Amino acid sequence: MFENVKMPEGLSPEVLEHLVSPKNYGKLDNPSCVGVAVDEKTGEYVIFYAILKDDIVEDVSFATNGCQDTVVVGSMFTEMIKGQNTDYANKAIDKMAKKFGNVSKQQQVCIEIVLNAFVASMLNYQNLCDGKEEEMHVLKMEESCDMQNQPTEKQDA
Amino acid sequence: MPKTYQAKHHLWLSITFASFAIDDEDIKSKLYDFSLIAFRHMKWLGTEILSNGNDYNYDRNMQLYRRESSFEVLKALVEEITNIQELYPKNVLGDRIKTDDKYLLDYLNQLLADEKNNKQITAFNMERKWDESDLDQEQTDALTLFLFAESYKEYELILVYAYMQARTDDVLQFNIFQDLVDESHFHLKCFGNMMAKLGILALPRELHEMTYKVDDLQKFIVDGIAEEEAAKEMCKELSESIKDEKLSKFFDFINYQENYHIELMKKLLK
Repeated sequence: MFENVKMPEGLSPEVLEHLVSPKNYGKLDNPSCVGVAVDEKTGEYVIFYAILKDDIVEDVSFATNGCQDTVVVGSMFTEMIKGQNTDYANKAIDKMAKKFGNVSKQQQVCIEIVLNAFVASMLNYQNLCDGKEEEMHVLKMEESCDMQNQPTEKQDA
Repeated sequence: MPKTYQAKHHLWLSITFASFAIDDEDIKSKLYDFSLIAFRHMKWLGTEILSNGNDYNYDRNMQLYRRESSFEVLKALVEEITNIQELYPKNVLGDRIKTDDKYLLDYLNQLLADEKNNKQITAFNMERKWDESDLDQEQTDALTLFLFAESYKEYELILVYAYMQARTDDVLQFNIFQDLVDESHFHLKCFGNMMAKLGILALPRELHEMTYKVDDLQKFIVDGIAEEEAAKEMCKELSESIKDEKLSKFFDFINYQENYHIELMKKLLK
């Protein structure tokens, strides 16, 4: 599915189409689960909605205040897992991360924030199935896309 | 009433993006004036909703169709304006909005009566050609990404600051929010027209309520200042990488405006 896909620094027609018209963007009515991944340092978030039926991801959507890379990844990932079972969707995370391979550290964070939002939505589903009351599950990002203000590693003398 | 607010939000965007899509400078300019009037309608409707103890949101349910002629754009506007009339409140505000819309409808129908106004629309052709100079692929890609990122950001800022402005009693905050909204309208206009020139005109994506329902204004402003700094950096990089004097000057000009936004935002922290 991701053959010939390039991240936005090299704009393919497919990426351009995702920029012009992101797929599965916005809120979903009556979702089975909701997950959020948030970068507390920058305030950037991705919220992920899914409707699950008999282990199938019947419908899915996302929203973000993040950058264009995040939008393109969210658009592609939701297209990839829609209509698939949750096992496929969970495996798709690795597939997706590997497929993009050679990306900048900043773009890596964009990929991770989308995937973490999906993971958060699955955790929310699990918690609801276990009888817990949880409006949405929130995961905080370990890495921030704010590269300029990242703490630098201590250099050995 | 929230339905009216949403329909007005759609109409504001439709008029704004019709202005960007149409090449004719007179029509573009006039439609843009009407779009700002529509934005004020939206603001006044919002104020009325809040004063009645209700609330509104920025949910949307609209598309920007890739139309190929001016008349297709204008006819769609006529239909949208006609359909919204029954939603307006039956009071002084509703009367004012209806009078404005009637004037706009008359103008649109005049344009539609003259076939000379029916020109081809290239704003959606995805060709990404900058007619004024030869940009190479890398420069074109950089410009494309910048315009997508910043057109969304300006739309977001307009709505977020308008949302906060509607909910503050502090005069200093109110005035600063107004300045920031005005500045973002100008930037959105610049970037939208550039997207249309490149053939990549697209609606900014919808705002989720997590973006505009702000609990911690101080943190929001601090994050906003960091975003303005990042936007300044993007402008600077773009200005340096694009070998076109006119475009470089434009991005320097925008860059300096971002400087002042930061100063305005710092005042909100005091």
